[in-house]
Amino acid sequence: MGTDLVYLQLKKRVKARVGEILLLRDLAQLLTGEDHEDLGYLPILRLGKDQGSHMVVDVMDVLRKIRQQYPDVEVRSVGPLQTIIEVEAVYKVPSGVLVALVWLLLFVGSALAIMNFHTDVSMKAVHERIYYLITGEHNSKPLLLQIPYSIGIGLGMVLFFNHLFKRKFNDEPSPLELEVFLYQENIDQFVIDHEKSKDRGDRNGPSG
Amino acid sequence: MDLLGSILLVFIGLGGGLAVGSGFVAFLTVLDIVPRLTVFSRGRRYVRSYEWAFVAGALAATWVDLRDWSAAFSPLGTVPVGFLAGCFVGLLAAALTEVINVLPILAKRLQMQKFVLYLLMAMVFGKILGSLFQWIWFIA
Repeated sequence: MGTDLVYLQLKKRVKARVGEILLLRDLAQLLTGEDHEDLGYLPILRLGKDQGSHMVVDVMDVLRKIRQQYPDVEVRSVGPLQTIIEVEAVYKVPSGVLVALVWLLLFVGSALAIMNFHTDVSMKAVHERIYYLITGEHNSKPLLLQIPYSIGIGLGMVLFFNHLFKRKFNDEPSPLELEVFLYQENIDQFVIDHEKSKDRGDRNGPSG
Repeated sequence: MDLLGSILLVFIGLGGGLAVGSGFVAFLTVLDIVPRLTVFSRGRRYVRSYEWAFVAGALAATWVDLRDWSAAFSPLGTVPVGFLAGCFVGLLAAALTEVINVLPILAKRLQMQKFVLYLLMAMVFGKILGSLFQWIWFIA
């Protein structure tokens, strides 16, 4: 009987295409005895066209399927309680033109934002003041101060995002990578909660 | 000026300074600039001395500015000052939410995750050139 015990760990995220049939081994890692190595090939679900971009498979659904086919197998689930299936849209790679457009948008917006910031904090007056404090002369266009200042802004931003010196200093994730990660985590959590409540609503509500 | 007025002035000055100083430090703390910089100097041991750098810098600038002192260095002496000030503002600008929150969402929406770095560089160059433009041409 010991070999009938199967450990199952759902994967956190799975990517799939529309129409694909997902087998148990696609959704989960399995630890089985020799008797049940075919368990991994148990089909769990087929991705329909109307699923939207995300789908959530609950561990209970998986267990139910397993019990239908293999009533004598004892399954222990460890790890995540849901798998998120991300339906891969057949999207085209964004064209260079589009990337260039967004690039320009960010470029111009960024430039505008820094000018707004400078005006906001009266940076011009501050620069003139600093120039005076250092040299003792008044200069309404202290470019010697301002041009290195402008270059410094760029360098400071790059420093913040830990780009140039990434390998040199350490392999801590950059704030941007962290932010991308957190954003993804939030989406996942939302999808899990949202899809669950949607399912419940469908079951209880009147059909049609 | 009578004694009472002097005491009152000292009190108001001290109170105002306290409020501004703590606000300043809170601002810097929220933006997580010091933790970012400790990454480069490879030492959390020095965080204390960085705190003193903030305090000393703010105090020195306040003193020099309010006393209206001025040194007589050559104009070339402003170059390193401008450069360092720019770096600091760059750190501030990068830490502000516009960059850090906009980019991941924008990249995901437009399915340009692979290009996040390019988009980041767009913002970096935008800041540099926007700033240069402002100082060299925009201000009459």
